[in-house]
Amino acid sequence: MRKLLCCAALFVVGAAFPANAATPLHERIDSAVGVGNEQFEKTASTLADDATFLRRVTLDLTGTIPTSDEVRVFLADESADKRTQLVDRLLDSPEHARRMQYVFDTMLMERGPDKHVPAAEWQTYLRDSFSENKPWDVLVTEILTADGTDEKTRPAAKFLLDRELKAEEVTRDLGRLFLGRDLQCAQCHDHPNVNDYLQRHYYGLNAFLSRSYLFKNPKTKKTTIGEKAEGLVSFTSVFTQEEGKTAPRMLDLPEIADPEMPKEPYKVKPAKNVRSVPVYSRRLQLADAMTNPSNVAFQQNIVNRLWALMMGRGLVEPLDMWHSDNPPSNPQLLAVLTESLQENDYDLQLMLREMALSKTYQRSSHVADGAEPAAETSFGVGLLKPLSSEQLAWSMMQATGLTANTLAGLKAKQIKADAKKKKESPKTEDPAWQEEALHAALNRNVTTFVKTFGTVGAQSSQFDASANQALFLRNDPLVQSWLVPSGNNLTARLKQLKTTPEIAEELYLSVFSRLPEKAETEQVAAFLNSPQAHTDQDLQQLVWAALSSDEFRFNH
Amino acid sequence: MRRNQGCHQSDHRVARRQFLAGAAGGVVGLSLPGSLAAAEKIKGQHKRVLQVYLQGGVSQLESWDPKPGTEFGGPFRAIPTSVPGMHISELLPYTAQYMHLLSIVRSINLKINDHQQGRLFMEKGRRAGEFPYVGSIASKYLAPPNSELPGYIHISTRGLNDSTAAFLGAQHSQLKFEGVKPPKNLAVPQGLDQTADARRIQLRQQFNQQFRRGRSKSLTESFDASFEQAAKLMGRKSFFEKAPDGKDLERYGKHDFGRNCLLARALLENDATCVKVTHHGYDSHAENFNFHLEQLGEFDKTFAMLLSDLHERGLLESTLVMVYSEFGRTPKINVRYGRDHWGTAWSIALGGCGIQPGAIIGKTNDKGTAVAEREVDAGHLFHTYLQALGIDSTNDHDIAGRSIPIGDPTAQPIKELLA
Repeated sequence: MRKLLCCAALFVVGAAFPANAATPLHERIDSAVGVGNEQFEKTASTLADDATFLRRVTLDLTGTIPTSDEVRVFLADESADKRTQLVDRLLDSPEHARRMQYVFDTMLMERGPDKHVPAAEWQTYLRDSFSENKPWDVLVTEILTADGTDEKTRPAAKFLLDRELKAEEVTRDLGRLFLGRDLQCAQCHDHPNVNDYLQRHYYGLNAFLSRSYLFKNPKTKKTTIGEKAEGLVSFTSVFTQEEGKTAPRMLDLPEIADPEMPKEPYKVKPAKNVRSVPVYSRRLQLADAMTNPSNVAFQQNIVNRLWALMMGRGLVEPLDMWHSDNPPSNPQLLAVLTESLQENDYDLQLMLREMALSKTYQRSSHVADGAEPAAETSFGVGLLKPLSSEQLAWSMMQATGLTANTLAGLKAKQIKADAKKKKESPKTEDPAWQEEALHAALNRNVTTFVKTFGTVGAQSSQFDASANQALFLRNDPLVQSWLVPSGNNLTARLKQLKTTPEIAEELYLSVFSRLPEKAETEQVAAFLNSPQAHTDQDLQQLVWAALSSDEFRFNH
Repeated sequence: MRRNQGCHQSDHRVARRQFLAGAAGGVVGLSLPGSLAAAEKIKGQHKRVLQVYLQGGVSQLESWDPKPGTEFGGPFRAIPTSVPGMHISELLPYTAQYMHLLSIVRSINLKINDHQQGRLFMEKGRRAGEFPYVGSIASKYLAPPNSELPGYIHISTRGLNDSTAAFLGAQHSQLKFEGVKPPKNLAVPQGLDQTADARRIQLRQQFNQQFRRGRSKSLTESFDASFEQAAKLMGRKSFFEKAPDGKDLERYGKHDFGRNCLLARALLENDATCVKVTHHGYDSHAENFNFHLEQLGEFDKTFAMLLSDLHERGLLESTLVMVYSEFGRTPKINVRYGRDHWGTAWSIALGGCGIQPGAIIGKTNDKGTAVAEREVDAGHLFHTYLQALGIDSTNDHDIAGRSIPIGDPTAQPIKELLA
């Protein structure tokens, strides 16, 4: 096994699934999911109902639950292609770029502390990139190429600069985040438990950056990346004392040999307080080698991560443990996705769209009555996905009506300000203005949720919950304050309603994004009409119980 | 994988004796002593950790490895301890009386002189990378399944929020107490009485029952477990808020560290698994000697009282005690009478569960400028702590699809220190 190349687990792309332009990707996904199992359709769950689909896809593509009005409108919509229309509308919204910003910021920076590039600049860079649907290979090239000297591209350099070019961080994270391989344990020796992870893989990646160093400009005090023209990478196993050396390389792809050293190897020679620039830069080979079509690991990694984002579980899980003893659960599906990514020039939005349109994505998370629950890896049933910290924050603010209340206030303020200047206020109806204004106004709450529910460091797709998170949900004054009737927020609206069925309906549409069933309406009535009830608190705690329930905590 | 194997021989003897006593109680119809003995038995088997972290880097020369009368020895003398032949600094007169319960490692070389890196190495047993702290590992492998308290509690008066659990998950991450202040959000929201609180919790459960029908339960169960853990903590609110006994406070000292150590004792007695108490302020780049006189003056008596209480109450056999820093201090005294960062040749003290008491491991040279014998680093110490607790540190964490060596595979435990 040891001799087996890391990427040898590749299947000959295209052989099993001839590219068929006539068949849309989402249909090819569905065929690949059920392939080889004739019983699949019978055992798989049915498609989720409209309300569930609306909530699910709104969360996945825009990072929040829909408003009660959006639910009403979608349920009433009778057009046959309303799900497709919805997906396209969501992908086109400013909220989508924000959602992708959150997802990729968390993925690439893992909520670490700021070092050299302010998080806000990097986040804006990510959001702009997703807003224009920048292809993944282009985005990664920018991130791995920027050296921080040009103010325009400096935000992209955060990935390297904030890891301070520390080999043990950068090398590991290049492997984990871009190639799906956690080579950390291969730093000091071939991986003790994973036959495929070799020390030379680690040092092959390391060699791209080993000549680069952090340079602090003495005048501007800004830290940038400088590079030397020399320096070879060699390594010794602490177990076997075996020595090895390597030029830069991507896993088992060929080494990239340095060209012959020119007489003058530097464009800018190293000297005190000077950022040296070599004629031949190993670092600048990194982006090319990474995004080269021959580097299939790079393509597989991103489709696997997008799949996990949408479906709740990667084809390879954990996402950074690709190796021959942990193969993808559905190699044909992986081939379909990878091929499509290449054909469509690394268009991530297209991948998300097609995934969202697949039956696989739209299946109910309910196991069909009497059926055995299918294995998670079969993707025959919708999997529960815990809301991220940001999704949870924005969804709670949406559900309680804080978002709508705040937006109404922001619009009024802007219109007033514009009236003073005798300007019209067209921009208050602009979705991009609204999104930015709301974000600025409510971001502090999001930060609080990130502190409570987020983890710093390698992100796990495993759900886990701690006592202080539950204490926060139960007792923290922040969430409680959103429950106090105010303006047109949820509890204020509920207070206006006369009958318990009306209350139940508004509650369910606002918090659970669906209509209540009869038994659920009765449950609400029983709570409100209990002899222990005292009206002041009851509506608030009714909303609280819904907000802190399983149904709200997960995307289902 | 074998875990929780033989901690301390006498541990099992005690447990067995108590078990027998319990059985005898049952025969004569006294159920109370029986159940008490059973509780004792469980307590005896539950292994615990007390970490006393001297933040900033305590000077080995002013504590566990004095070199009086030498070039860099400084002004303080060495005093004999309760272990014949073992001397420590005169700044630790109380602790000296209890050294028969502890051992000293005098030959640590981290090759690190940076606060954060040194601290992470000491906690994770790895120089770099994302690995769980000792406390999170204890929480994962030692905490009883229905523990009333979170597995890893850190009492500190300031400091950073660490990501301590790595891949072990949030439930094993450190719960931080700001001094003796209980964790945040223990009280029900204002204006909500007990009845109303119980009603909303019940309603939440009704919502959940509906949702769970026909759905996979693993995620919702973890979510529920966090609410149960929260409820247990809320139920302990008065325990956290209880003012310490006046006599105890007299013995431990009426300062933050004294109060924090009293809380640590109460937590350990109530089956907490790992309790870390941080004593801040050892980074003595200037006025090292005055600093240590003051700091260790506070540490010494308090720590000695805590150690002797644990011993007298029968907890020490099942509690690993470690007194450590991120590094020691330079032998060379700088122009400001300070000592600087020094990871090259320094000491820690440890004892209790699984540790042979009264030992001195390794030594430094005469001037204390280098390790002379038995050099170890934090990787060796990490294996030692875990082996002492009965966790096979050469095994792997088996976490959903990945297996990760628990201790650094290139380091080994200090065998001669294990009981």
